[in-house]
Formats: sequence, structure tokens, C-alpha cells
Amino acid sequence: MRRIILSVVVATILSACTKGKTIDEAGNLVPLTVEKDASLPSIYINLSKFHAETFGNPANKMLVVLHGGPGSDYRYLLNCKEFANQGYYVVFYDQRGSGLSARHSKNEYTIQLMIDDLHAVIAHYRASPSQKIFLLGHSWGAILATAYINQNPSAIRGVILGEPGGFKWQDIKDYVRRARDFRFSSEALNDALYADQFITGRENEQAVLDYKLGLLGAADAAKDNPTGNESLLPFWRAGAVVNKALFDLGEKEQPDFTSSLQLFSTKVFFAYSERNRAYGLEQAQKVSSAYPNVQLQKINGAGHDFISFSAGFANFFPAALSYLNSL
Amino acid sequence: MKKTHTIVTVIILLMGLTTNAQTINWKNIRQYKHIANVNVTAEYALNYGVAYSYRLSSKRPILLSSEYSFPSGNNFTDDFKVKTGTQIHWLQSGNFHFASKFQGIFRRYQNSYARLLNFGVDISATGGYYKQKWFVAGELGIDKAIVTHFKHSDLYKENFPGVRDGWYEPSTGGNIYIGVQAGWSFQNKDLYLKLGKLSQQDLHSSPMLPLYAQLGFNIKFGKR
Repeated sequence: MRRIILSVVVATILSACTKGKTIDEAGNLVPLTVEKDASLPSIYINLSKFHAETFGNPANKMLVVLHGGPGSDYRYLLNCKEFANQGYYVVFYDQRGSGLSARHSKNEYTIQLMIDDLHAVIAHYRASPSQKIFLLGHSWGAILATAYINQNPSAIRGVILGEPGGFKWQDIKDYVRRARDFRFSSEALNDALYADQFITGRENEQAVLDYKLGLLGAADAAKDNPTGNESLLPFWRAGAVVNKALFDLGEKEQPDFTSSLQLFSTKVFFAYSERNRAYGLEQAQKVSSAYPNVQLQKINGAGHDFISFSAGFANFFPAALSYLNSL
Repeated sequence: MKKTHTIVTVIILLMGLTTNAQTINWKNIRQYKHIANVNVTAEYALNYGVAYSYRLSSKRPILLSSEYSFPSGNNFTDDFKVKTGTQIHWLQSGNFHFASKFQGIFRRYQNSYARLLNFGVDISATGGYYKQKWFVAGELGIDKAIVTHFKHSDLYKENFPGVRDGWYEPSTGGNIYIGVQAGWSFQNKDLYLKLGKLSQQDLHSSPMLPLYAQLGFNIKFGKR
């Protein structure tokens, strides 16, 4: 008890001597976005500012990389820069409200806006109308890629999809439930839940909410995490509001991104990981069946985020490159 | 800042009294000096707790208590909460009793990215119907995280090298709770259950675990 009292006294003295830092100020607990940090590479499209960068010759075939979440960022997919060394113009961007891209209020996000943003990114970087466009989407990014192809079946030359939860809302919900299937008494789940009494934020306090969501990411590498990652993913800044907004929209709109996929006759490269217990061959077959022409690829020695870790990427990259080169 | 210091000072003073807030049957508390408690709680997470209360020899029932709890998991020392405070019985009308609780809180949280130390308060009011053998009551309160110290791991600093460790204020969070409690008293023991709902202080959002529940057991001893 004496230690506690002493800690309180020390805390009081410290807070009296220093100007208190506030958790809702970006730059303290989470990095600044492109709106406040001019040194970050960015583009302005679709009335918003995006954190984005490219690798490779702009005249080469374009490969647009789409991160998961929603609300993650492209840092964990930077291994895909390797495609630039193989003759591709690789485009990365943090999606609207994610990573280091600009933040918006919750009611501004729509699924269509995310699709329109992808369209605008492609248009921004496209060197010529004849330039071949490929998409590489992971998790939610694979759903976004599919939503885009569903609306623009002839715009894309080929697509690499990594463990999308589903292309229909119920499939997505079922997958998310399985992927978050922790025991109630587990360290990982209680670590995630316990933080709620330390930090709360209003809907417009995006730095607070982003920080808190980032903390939750620590559960990704827990031993009992069904998704099978070997360690934690690198990230810049989580996008909590866009994450909540898109899940709420999914629940409300029950989207189905498969209505026109039969028109996309090009072979789809569909990758799933060996260690993700929430996915597996059965889920991969079920989800990918919305496309008429699929190459299923099991990535051995890796979990859900197989692109981020050396063993997974070593197994993924040659097969994905071979697929792209075949188109 | 001044307001924060005032609140922290009050917490320090209350901690000096070494007190707590157990769920009490106010009808049969008068003849005992000590109450020991064990509980299992689903509040923010799954927690296990122990508590002790001492009843002052005052005309108005006043309990001074301390409580320790920790969440379930493999590591029992990385996260915990110590509450200390006072419960005061203010009013009785027939079998209806009304009481308040004021607790200082010190809590710790740690995961792979950060270690958080927080000082806060938990203030609530309880009112209900109490009989010798049973009771049912309602409670309304707020759990406020006043000042929090953040220390980040090298792993987090690899993600964001510019992160600023240190004390953060004003309040880093707060949750409001409303619930019911009911208990069965037999011999010198109480078995009780609390159930309720948690909302964040903006009243628009909830913690990931939006409900709370506690199953507890009191044993009273040391007759006056």
C-alpha cells in the first residue's frame, strides 16, 4: 500500500511539474497523417489526401496493392516492393481514413467511396490507356479488389487475392467471428478488453481511437490466435473510425460483391495460408467459387498475413509472380 | 490541471484510509467489524478479486475497504487493479437503504506494445430494499481514468519512433455503469450477484464488453 501511495504522490508531483500531454493530440501516441506532416509521400484524389508511394518504372505493368483491415495500412505489405524488381510498377496507398491518410468523420465513409478511391488511384498513376492494371489485395483489400472488379469487370488484367473473409456479408461476418475466437479466459482477449477502462474516446477523437485499435493488434501474435501469424505486423497507424464505419455499413447494407463476377473470365490467383485455422481449403474454395476461373494456392509455413513474414512471402512470391507474368 | 490535482489529492487522502466497496447487505452489517470477500467479475474483462472492509464504530455505517483484482490470462502480474475507498450509508426509510461509494483506483495494463499505469476514481450511488436474509438494489456510477502514464516497448517504437512516453492528462477515459445487485444472506455470509451495463462517458459508445457481472461471496466476522 505504501508503494501505491508513494506512486500517487510521485504522479501528482510529476503532473504538477510538466505540461500534461493529451492523448487526443496526434503526434503523441500515434504519428501525424499526411494532413499534418508534409514530409510524407501523398496524393490528392477524390477530394481527400492519401498517403501513397510507388516503386518501379511508371511505364511498366501496374500492380496496385490493397491492404486489409479495414483500417490497417500498407506497411505490412511492403514486401510486395519486390514485384518492382520484376518489371512491375507497384503502387501502395493507405486507404481513406487508414494508416497515414487523411481522417474523415464516420458518416462520410461508404463502401462505394472506397471503390471510387481505388478507381481514382489507378487513374492518377496510369501512364497510358494501354497500361495493364493488376490488383493485389490482402484480407479486406481482397474484398475491395473484388468489389471493384464486380463493378468494372473489364478494367483489370488480373488479380491476386489473399484470404478475403468473403464476398458476401454473411461470409465475412462468419470469418471474422472465427478469426476472433479466443477463450474468454485467455490472456489475448483479456489484454484486448482490459484497456477499455484506461482509454476511451469520442467518435471524433480519431488519434485516441486509432491508438487504442493499434494496441489491440498485440493480440495478433498470441499463441491462441486462430489466424496463425508468427509475430506482430509492422504498422504506422490504425484507422479505427473507418474500421467501425465499414463494419457498421456492412451490417446495415449486407453487401454482395459477386453479382457480376462471372463476367471476369480471367484466371484469379487466390491464396490461403496453411496455419490460419479460421480459413483453410474449404473456406478458400467457398469464397473463390464466385469467380469462374480460379487458381487456388496454398501458402505453406505461414498464417493469415503470409505476405509479411519471410517464410510466407518466400512461398507466395514466386507463385504470384508466375501468375502475373502469365497474363 | 488544478481540478485534476484536487481529485488526485482526494484519492491520496482516501487511500490513506485504506477502504473499499463491496456489495453489502446494509440490513445486517451493524453487528460486525470485518467483511472479507472473494469475487469473479466480468467487467471490461474476466477478473478475479479479493477484498476486505472494516466498519467504523460510528453511528452511521461507514466501511473502509481495499480490493485487489486481476484479469484472467497466462500472466497474473502484468494487469491488475487496486481499489480503495469508502462506502457510507446515508439514509434508511423502512427497509429501503441508500448508500454511496467513493474509491480511488490504481491500475496497470501491459501488452507487447505498452505499459499503462493509471490513477482514477470510481464513484457510485446504491439504493434498494434490504431484509435480514436478502436484498435487491440498483446502482449508478462512473469509473474515471484521471491520469495515465504511458511507456512503450521497443516493438511499438519500431512502428512509431516518435511516440511520447510519460504522464497524460486530463482524463484519458471514463465509463458510466448502471445495474442491479441482489444477494442472499445466511449466518454471517452473503452470496450476491451484480449485473449491469457499461457505457463510455460520451454515452454514445460502449466498451467492447458492454455488460458487467459479478458473483461474490462475503464473510462477516468480529462482532461488536
